[in-house]
Amino acid sequence: MERRVVITACSAITPIGRTKAEILHALRNGVSGIKPLKEDGLLSGHIHSKVFGAVDYPITYDFKRTFRKTMGPVAYYACQVAKETLESSGLDQAFITSGRLGVAFGSTHGSPTVQREIYKTFFGGTRDDVRSIGAVDYLKSMVHTTAVNITKMFGITGRVISSSTACTTSSQSIGFGYEMVKFGMQDAMLCGGADEYDTTTVAVFDNLLACSTAFNATPHLTPRPFDVKRDGLVVGEGAGAVLLEEYDHARKRGAEILGEVIGFSCNNNGGDLILPNLQGISETIRIGLRDAHLAADQVDFISAHATGTKMGDVIEAQAIFDVYGDRPPIVGLKSYMGHTMGSCGAIETIILLHLMREGYIVPTLNLEDIDERCAMIRHSREVRDYPVRIAVVQNFAFGGVNTNLFIKKPD
Amino acid sequence: MTRDEIINHILHIFQKEFEIENPGLDDDLREEHEFDSIDAVELLLQIEKMLGSELTQEEKKQAMDIRTINQIVDYIERLARARQTLLD
Repeated sequence: MERRVVITACSAITPIGRTKAEILHALRNGVSGIKPLKEDGLLSGHIHSKVFGAVDYPITYDFKRTFRKTMGPVAYYACQVAKETLESSGLDQAFITSGRLGVAFGSTHGSPTVQREIYKTFFGGTRDDVRSIGAVDYLKSMVHTTAVNITKMFGITGRVISSSTACTTSSQSIGFGYEMVKFGMQDAMLCGGADEYDTTTVAVFDNLLACSTAFNATPHLTPRPFDVKRDGLVVGEGAGAVLLEEYDHARKRGAEILGEVIGFSCNNNGGDLILPNLQGISETIRIGLRDAHLAADQVDFISAHATGTKMGDVIEAQAIFDVYGDRPPIVGLKSYMGHTMGSCGAIETIILLHLMREGYIVPTLNLEDIDERCAMIRHSREVRDYPVRIAVVQNFAFGGVNTNLFIKKPD
Repeated sequence: MTRDEIINHILHIFQKEFEIENPGLDDDLREEHEFDSIDAVELLLQIEKMLGSELTQEEKKQAMDIRTINQIVDYIERLARARQTLLD
């Protein structure tokens, strides 16, 4: 049994805004969400990269203590976008708690903020302090904290999938959620990812010389995917959630259909855990096209992973060219908000839904002088009307994990 | 501490740590105030601070059936008697 899977609600927290209007305003006007890295008294002084894709506006949470007590910052983000998604979906409570709705939600590594506090206690504390590390601290910090805080808050009793594959976390959430609904295991899946403000992740990439360091005084000028002056990625924070629903279920209840997931691919490079791999990425794209029953020339627009690293962008451009040639326009959305890690796949999917609905595409920010090694593909260079029927979200992660999501505009 | 003083101290903990305002002394805390097993573990830490000594695993297990403020106070009085602390 193969069933159609549609997206009927979404919500995001991004460095360039919360609402569709705010996000599109930033994209249309070239507004960057990259800000100076905040001092954290621990790692910030040792990190060479001094920029971050920051959510620097207040968010009002209305969570009861019974929910708050098991939540670290990452779960606040996750539960907020989940709440808004469920509210806007119009799903009734009986369905939400029926077991027919599952959750696929993850983060890069739970809550590093809470983990940091635990380690401080471990290594600096007295016996009384160490004894104070309790079950709550684990529930706040554990890898699947986002998914299960969501199930708790809304009484969701269906399947739980909690990917934690760095940059492909939320594209896996959506992809695995899509497969759950497509093959009849669940009738709906609440999918997404989140990551909180965290300098640990910056330090990891900084040590690998993968972070941008040349624009510390002008954060808005980095990252620069595909640009000759690009010098690395910028870590960011955020969250994104989409509700996937079986098509007939959505139609019968009169839900607004924002888009349809028509294909998903996920593979591994089968070797190096860090270096981008042309063969692996090209294969991901081809597997995805087969899953979506598409020819390459049916894809209208591609959201590239495009982190702004020296080699990653070149390999991705080559893979895109090998499969699609120079026909579909390519955008690197991380140029606006940095790499929001576990949430990037969901946020980029949501942005594609908005662009498809509005009928225009946006450029890659800071792409002024295209690196000749990335010049063979068709870069989106300006805001312009452009009807998109089928779009792709590409994401690639440490560990050699690659994903492609194929999204179709509603008929 | 008198029983009333222990009650006041516990009610203060409930208000400050669990955001539960003035529960009835015989209210079922789980049913009426969403006080769950995680809260119970946190409460035991507070009781240890109050007594100034650690609880044994056996003593902690005895707390798992507690449902009301009055039962919490009974429990603390038993612990205090065993330790010869708190009581006048």
